[in-house]
Amino acid sequence: MAKKRLRLTVNGVLIDREVEESLRLLDVLRDELFLTGTKEGCGIGECGACTVILDGKAVNSCMVLALSADGGVVETVEGLGSPDRLHPLQASFLDHHALQCGFCTPGMLMSAKALLDEDPRPSEEEIKKAIAGNLCRCTGYVQIVEAIKDAARRRSPSEV
Amino acid sequence: MATCFNTPQVKYNSALRFERHGIPADELIFSPVVRFVGDRVAAVAATSPKIAARALSLLDVDYEVLPAVFDPEEALAEDAPKIQPGGNLVAEIRAETGDLDQGLAGSDYVFTDKYYTPRPSHIALEPHTCIADVSRDGPLTVWSATQNIFAFRVLLSGIFSLPMHKVRVVKPPVGGAFGGKLEMTIEPVAAALAMMCRRPVKVELTRREVFFATRTRHAAVVEIKTGVNRDGFIQAQDIKVITNTGAYTSSALNVLGAMIDKAFKQYRIPGMRCQGYPVLTNTPVAGAMRGYGSPQLILAREVHLDRVARELKLDPVELRRRNLVRPGDPNPRSGATLGDCYPLECLELGAREFGWDTWRRPILPPHKKRGIGMAVGVHGNGVYGVHADITGVTITMNEDGTGILFTGAHDLGQGVITILLQIACEVLGMKQQDWSVIEADTAYVPWDLGMYASRGTWVIGQAVKRCAETIAAQVKEKAAQILNADLEKLNLSGGRVNAPDGSSVSLRDVVWEIQQKDGRELIASYSHRSTFNPTSYGADFAEVEVDLEQKTIRVIRFLAVHDVGRAINPLLVEGQIEGGIQMGIGYALSEDLKLDAAGKVVNASFKKYVTPKAADMPTLKVMLVENGERQGPYGAKSIGECATIPVAPAVANAVADALGREIHAFPIDLRALSD
Repeated sequence: MAKKRLRLTVNGVLIDREVEESLRLLDVLRDELFLTGTKEGCGIGECGACTVILDGKAVNSCMVLALSADGGVVETVEGLGSPDRLHPLQASFLDHHALQCGFCTPGMLMSAKALLDEDPRPSEEEIKKAIAGNLCRCTGYVQIVEAIKDAARRRSPSEV
Repeated sequence: MATCFNTPQVKYNSALRFERHGIPADELIFSPVVRFVGDRVAAVAATSPKIAARALSLLDVDYEVLPAVFDPEEALAEDAPKIQPGGNLVAEIRAETGDLDQGLAGSDYVFTDKYYTPRPSHIALEPHTCIADVSRDGPLTVWSATQNIFAFRVLLSGIFSLPMHKVRVVKPPVGGAFGGKLEMTIEPVAAALAMMCRRPVKVELTRREVFFATRTRHAAVVEIKTGVNRDGFIQAQDIKVITNTGAYTSSALNVLGAMIDKAFKQYRIPGMRCQGYPVLTNTPVAGAMRGYGSPQLILAREVHLDRVARELKLDPVELRRRNLVRPGDPNPRSGATLGDCYPLECLELGAREFGWDTWRRPILPPHKKRGIGMAVGVHGNGVYGVHADITGVTITMNEDGTGILFTGAHDLGQGVITILLQIACEVLGMKQQDWSVIEADTAYVPWDLGMYASRGTWVIGQAVKRCAETIAAQVKEKAAQILNADLEKLNLSGGRVNAPDGSSVSLRDVVWEIQQKDGRELIASYSHRSTFNPTSYGADFAEVEVDLEQKTIRVIRFLAVHDVGRAINPLLVEGQIEGGIQMGIGYALSEDLKLDAAGKVVNASFKKYVTPKAADMPTLKVMLVENGERQGPYGAKSIGECATIPVAPAVANAVADALGREIHAFPIDLRALSD
C-alpha cells in the first residue's frame, strides 16, 4: 500500500512521517500517534465522538483523509489541558458533571473549544448548535450546555 | 476463520445471569441456521481490519432460503414458520391478584385499548468491543465492554468447557451500556478465534452492526382493559402483553417477568391480571434495555389512563391521585411492603411546579397545537424476589491510611464507583482521593450478580457500607486502646479517629499499629444478600408543540420529579434523570428499528435512526423527593432505570392533548395519524 509524507502540527508538536494514503485523520491520531482520547463512535461522521480541531474548525476526524490535512494544525483533547492544569472547559465539565461514560466527551470538548475560540460569549442556542453534531446518550445534554456556558464565563480575559 | 463447522456447538442463553440459571438455551456462537439478518455466520481473524474485511468479502455462503416471520402476532399463528424447534411462543407468564372478573363486572365503565410500542436501540456511544487472549498459556482472558463479568465467565466456561478459574473476564472503562452490553454477543467469537490463532484477537463492531447484531428493547403489543368507577377509582385491570424477543430467547422470560412485577406496584387495583407472551420472530434479538419491561408497560398503561380520564371528564392528575399506591402499601402478589414510596408526593410537587392546574392553551396559528401531559413511572431496586441478589466486597486498609476497594460493580458511566466511595468515605471519615478501586475483574474481585436492575447503589452500596463499618469497628477498637478512650464515643473524620476530649489519632497510625503491633492485616470482606426490593417512582410533566405543516413534534418544557429515597450524589442523580429524559423523548417520538420486507434493518445509522440532540431537548427541570427509604444506604434507592420510564407516556399524553385524539402506536408518526 502506498505511503506518502504527512506533516501535521498536533497539539503544538510537528509530526513528519510517511503514512498510508487511505488513513483517516482519526487513524493517524489513534493508531500512529497513540492519541486515543479521540473516539470512534460511528466512523461515518454522524456522532461527533471523533471531533478534533483542524485549522481552527471542529471536524469529524473520521471524515478527513489524513493526507488532505497535510500542513494543518490539529488540536485534540490531549492538548487541551493536563490533570494539574485543566482547560477551563475541562474544569467546568467536571464541576457540572457534564460527562457520564465519557465516550462523547473528548469530541464534545473540542466542539466547545472551537466555539469559544471563535465566540467567547455564545448564547445557549449557539452552544446547542455548536454541539448539534455531537451525540450523547448519557446526559440529556443539560449539564454539558451548562458547563460550556460556565466555561465561557470563567475564561480569564487574557484567554478571551 | 471461525464458523459453525469448527467452533463448539454448545447452546447457551446470552442473558444467563448465574450458574444453573435455567433459562432456555437456543443460541450458538455460529449457528448453521441463520435466523435473522444480523445472525453470526463466520468471523475472520487477520493482522489488520482491512485484511479481515477483504477476507470476509471473499467468503461465499450458500444459503437455503427458509420461510420467515417478522411480526410477533403473526408468529403466533399455527401455520407460522417455526423459528426454534419448540415453536415461537417462548412461554406464557401470568399473575393475578384479587378478582378480575368481579372487578370488571362491578365497574361503572370498562375501557379497552391496544398499543404498539417500538424497538429502540440503546445507542451507547461506544460500539461493542472485546479482546480475547489465550496466548500466554494462561486462562482465557476476555476484556470486554460488558455489564456482567461473572455471567460472561459462566457462559464462556460452558461454551469452551473450561473450569471457571481458567476464564478471566475484565471490564475496562465502558462507553455507555443501558442494558445493551448485559448480554453476551461477540465475546465467544473473539475467544474462538484467539484459541485458533494463539494470539490476542480483538472484535470491534461497527455502528451499523451494533444496531442489528446486538440487542434492542422488546417491541410490544399491549392490550389493557380497565374497569373504573364513575368517581375515578380503578376496580380492575387486565393487561395482556405480547413481546417480540427476536430470533433467540435471550431475556424473553426475565423482561416479561419484570414487567408484570411492576404492574402490581403502581396503583391500588383490587382485581388485577397480567399475562405475558414472549414470541420468537426472525428479527434482531431483543434484550435488556434501561427499564427492563417497565417502559413498554408504563407507556401503554399511562396513555390508556389518560384516555380513561378523558372519558370520565376527570383531570389526569386527579385520576392518578385517587389510585396511586401510598407509603407502606403491600405488593398484592407477595404481601411484602412497597417500602417508603412517594409517587403521590412526586405527583403533587410536580403538578404545582409545572403549573398543571393553571395552564391555558396558548393562541397559535391553526397549524400549531400545544398540549400538556403527565405520567407516573415505577421501577425496582435489584432483583430480590426473583433470584438471589448478592454481592461481595473487600476493603483493605494500607499502612499509610489509604484504602483499596475490591468490587464487582461495573462503572458504565452511571457513577456507581463514585457512589460506593462516597459511602465508604462517609463511614471511615476519608476522602475519595484516599482510595483506589479494583473493579469488575473476575480474577480479583468478589462475586457480584452484575450491573443491571438498578442495583448498584441499593445492593452494592449496602455491602460497601457494612464492609466499611466492619473496618471502622476495628479501627475504633484499636484507637480506643491508643487514646485510652471510650470506643463508643469515638468518631471517624478527616482521616483521624477523634475522641470527645479532643485527642485523636490518625488512621495511618491505627492501621500501622494493627499491622506491626498486632501482626494482622486490616482487611474485611462482606457478602451482602439483598432481602428487600423497594420501588422507585417518578412523575413527569411535558408541554409539547405539534406543527401540523412541518409534521414535527417539539417538547418545549419538561419537569421530572423522582422519589429517590435520598440522593447520595445529587449531581449524578440529576444526570441520570436528564439522560433518561433524552432516551424517553426518543422512545415516544422517533426511536425505532425499522425492517424491510426481508427483515433487514433499514435505519442502522445515526442519520436514519433519529435520537434527540442538544437542540431538540426541552427546557428541563428535575426535582427530587427525598424522604428516605429506611433500608437503603443512607436512605437511598435506585434512579438509573426509573429515570426514563415516565418520560415517553408524559410526552405522548401531551401530544394526544395537543391533537385532541388518541394515539396507539409509537413512536408517534404524525403522517400516519393524519391519514
